[in-house]
Amino acid sequence: MKSSRHIWGLVLAALVGLGVHAARAEDPAAAFAAANQLYEQGHYTNAAAAYAQLAATGRVNRNLYFNLGNAWFKCGQWGRAIAAYRRAEQLAPRDSDLEANLQLARKRVGNNASVAPSRVQRWLGGLTLNEWTVLTMIAGWLWLGVLAAKQWRPAWRASLRNAGFGLGLATGLLAVLTLLLWRDAQMDRVAVVTVPEIKVQTGPLEESTLAFSVPDGVELRVLDRREDWLQVQDAHRRIGWLKREGVQVL
Amino acid sequence: MRELGLGHLNRRSCAAPFWRGLLLGLAMLAVGLASGARAATLQASLDRDTVSLGESAVLSLVLEGGKPDADPQPPTVRNLQAGYPGKSSQYSWVNGESSSTITYTFPLTPKQAGTYTIPPIKVTVDGQVLASPAMTLTAVRAAPSTPDVAGADQKMVLVKLVVPPAEIFLGQSVPIELDLYLHSSVQNIVQYQSSAFNADGFTFGNTVQGPQRQVRVGNANFTLVPFYTTMTPVKTGELRIEPIDCTMVLQIAANGGRRQDMFDPFGMFSEQRRVTVSTEPVTVSVLALPEGAPAGFNGAVGNYTLSMSAGPTNVAAGDPITVKIQIAGHGNLDGLSLPPEPAWHDFKTYPPTSKVDATDKLGLQGTKNFELVVVPQDSEIKQLPPFAFSYFDPDQKAYRTLTQPAVPLVVRPGAASVAPNLALANRPEGGAPAAEIAPIRLRLGTLHGLQPALVERPWFWATQSVPVLAWMLLLVRRKRADALANNPRLRRQRQVAAFVTAGLAELRRHAAAKESDQFFATTFRLLQERLGERLNLPASSITEAVIDEQLRPRRAPESLQTGLQELFQACNQARYAPVKSTQELEGYVTRIETALAAARDWEA
Repeated sequence: MKSSRHIWGLVLAALVGLGVHAARAEDPAAAFAAANQLYEQGHYTNAAAAYAQLAATGRVNRNLYFNLGNAWFKCGQWGRAIAAYRRAEQLAPRDSDLEANLQLARKRVGNNASVAPSRVQRWLGGLTLNEWTVLTMIAGWLWLGVLAAKQWRPAWRASLRNAGFGLGLATGLLAVLTLLLWRDAQMDRVAVVTVPEIKVQTGPLEESTLAFSVPDGVELRVLDRREDWLQVQDAHRRIGWLKREGVQVL
Repeated sequence: MRELGLGHLNRRSCAAPFWRGLLLGLAMLAVGLASGARAATLQASLDRDTVSLGESAVLSLVLEGGKPDADPQPPTVRNLQAGYPGKSSQYSWVNGESSSTITYTFPLTPKQAGTYTIPPIKVTVDGQVLASPAMTLTAVRAAPSTPDVAGADQKMVLVKLVVPPAEIFLGQSVPIELDLYLHSSVQNIVQYQSSAFNADGFTFGNTVQGPQRQVRVGNANFTLVPFYTTMTPVKTGELRIEPIDCTMVLQIAANGGRRQDMFDPFGMFSEQRRVTVSTEPVTVSVLALPEGAPAGFNGAVGNYTLSMSAGPTNVAAGDPITVKIQIAGHGNLDGLSLPPEPAWHDFKTYPPTSKVDATDKLGLQGTKNFELVVVPQDSEIKQLPPFAFSYFDPDQKAYRTLTQPAVPLVVRPGAASVAPNLALANRPEGGAPAAEIAPIRLRLGTLHGLQPALVERPWFWATQSVPVLAWMLLLVRRKRADALANNPRLRRQRQVAAFVTAGLAELRRHAAAKESDQFFATTFRLLQERLGERLNLPASSITEAVIDEQLRPRRAPESLQTGLQELFQACNQARYAPVKSTQELEGYVTRIETALAAARDWEA
């Protein structure tokens, strides 16, 4: 009885999965709704696959990554869930539900080897890189506007002196912060472990000895890349090499 | 890689320089003045209660708030040898409050196995006699953790992995110790590297180095450098901890550690030797947790206490209440999580935040503080239901459940009590509110392609050049205006050029209207302005005489002089014999233009 119910569940999931595939070809919203349906029916693995297929088209948003994270979370795939949540976070850093789910997934990992962002990184991460860029641009345009007004009407120079100084300072500061965040986005890549356990070795060779191992969901800082290998560092400053296939690089 | 140096590990300075004593005395004087009549206190402690024969325990006497009349003497106990005492002082001034601490340390080495009672040690401070409490030190014959390798005392380096309990439970975090023994002839070690703990089925915590001590192995003295970490089993069965390889370069005294070598009295010539030593594999039996776990048990293993507080307790429905839960005790604090509380179904709960305050370096002892926000959904709620936390006590081999009583609440009606709540509506049946994730998004929204950031797009930087260019144009414009304002000649040149352009047009109008008087008046004015500007003279001072007085001495071209003279004369003649013909006047216009242009081009 139990096994027949299981078979019917699989058949249903396969049918809905086919529906997802057909809908994806036509309308992303329909594919998304079909994946949501799979999720609500408890077919979390199929739902995750459907969300992932949608994301593989290259057109994404935070809701898609959020639901993908939820589906992996329900499957107990903490690493994949964290990777999806972090991708959503890059698009929407001030989404409280997203932050709560990400923290919950990290708590489920329960390992203190994950690298944590510094206080400055957390503060900078409150806005996306593009938001910081636009803020800097607005401040810069206002500053140049004030400078231009001072050239256009020399009589305004005295009254615009403080505004020019303040806006110039703000522009410089914002530009530095934006560059910091951009450099951070370029250099400080994070790899999330997506397999039950991954062995970190002392070198990028099959023969290299084991340095340490980390479980699913641990977030590691990427220091270097060599072919299929990544050099990573954990929160305890342990450094080693692991195969790229066991992690998702954000 | 860890690098060790014995110099900073086991050598104690025995000299007391004069200046240090003087500074200490001054500090003591200042302390005495500042602290007034504050009573001095004396505390005593042993770094451990039990030692193996050949090992030493350290007795510490801490005198706070006073200066002794004389340094205390080491205890005299039969068969308990006291080594050279050490002394250190500390003086601090915090928020206007001064304090001083003097610490005396006495290494105590038992000569025989047995229990030794260390009598009170007396210290006299300002006539007041202070006494430490009596203490007990036990010396055992067998050293339980020293390596029992044959010929161990002949080796330079030994390493041993010490795993205290032979049987542990699934999820139980226990400390383990990697002991590195260095022979007394080893002066220093460098390039120390050890392989990671490798054991299938265990997770390991941070490694910390403990204080080193002197131990005796066989007939040789060794320095023991312990490294501590924690291990937590994640599966049951007979689990094996693989050997750990330790590689290092030893710096060994060339004379084998004998200080009396007359050719090397200071031990300056040392031999370097790279060695690799390995621990023996260790098997640990991991037991499954027994049946009969309480309903809310979520895998916590250890020994804990629980406390909880909530506030505010007088709120409107929909207002947040902060619940603080403290779980203190011994165990894997990092891995602790709050169990689901089905009784809190009338509250919207948010995932808790947590912080671990460990009191030991391994993070096994301390407090984990949880803080979560709960929101009462209606005004009928009278209390926050009791909170229960269950754990498995490995010492008693039994499950324990700690409970905190319900917190009375006063919940007033509020707007939020009738507001729909998507999170609650989507919660699956039987779901635990505190541990449940926020529900999925129902609408996809607008999809975007994965594009590079704005700062990486060329068009963005092209756009940024617009205000810069505008500002630069305005800057150039103002610079030119400034240059004009600061150059009267140039300004006059431009004014005259404009005047001449307007004047020539006016001449043509006068010629067409046969207005001879106005024509020649304008002509005269044009000649005055042009020549005045060229000669840097007021325009009103220019007459026909200027040709002889200014142009000729400055060697102006003859054609210019002639042309101007003819025009001046024509102006003079027109006052008496006006020209009536339009053609004649227009003929003058051409000549005036030529003369003015020649004057303009002439470099005066």
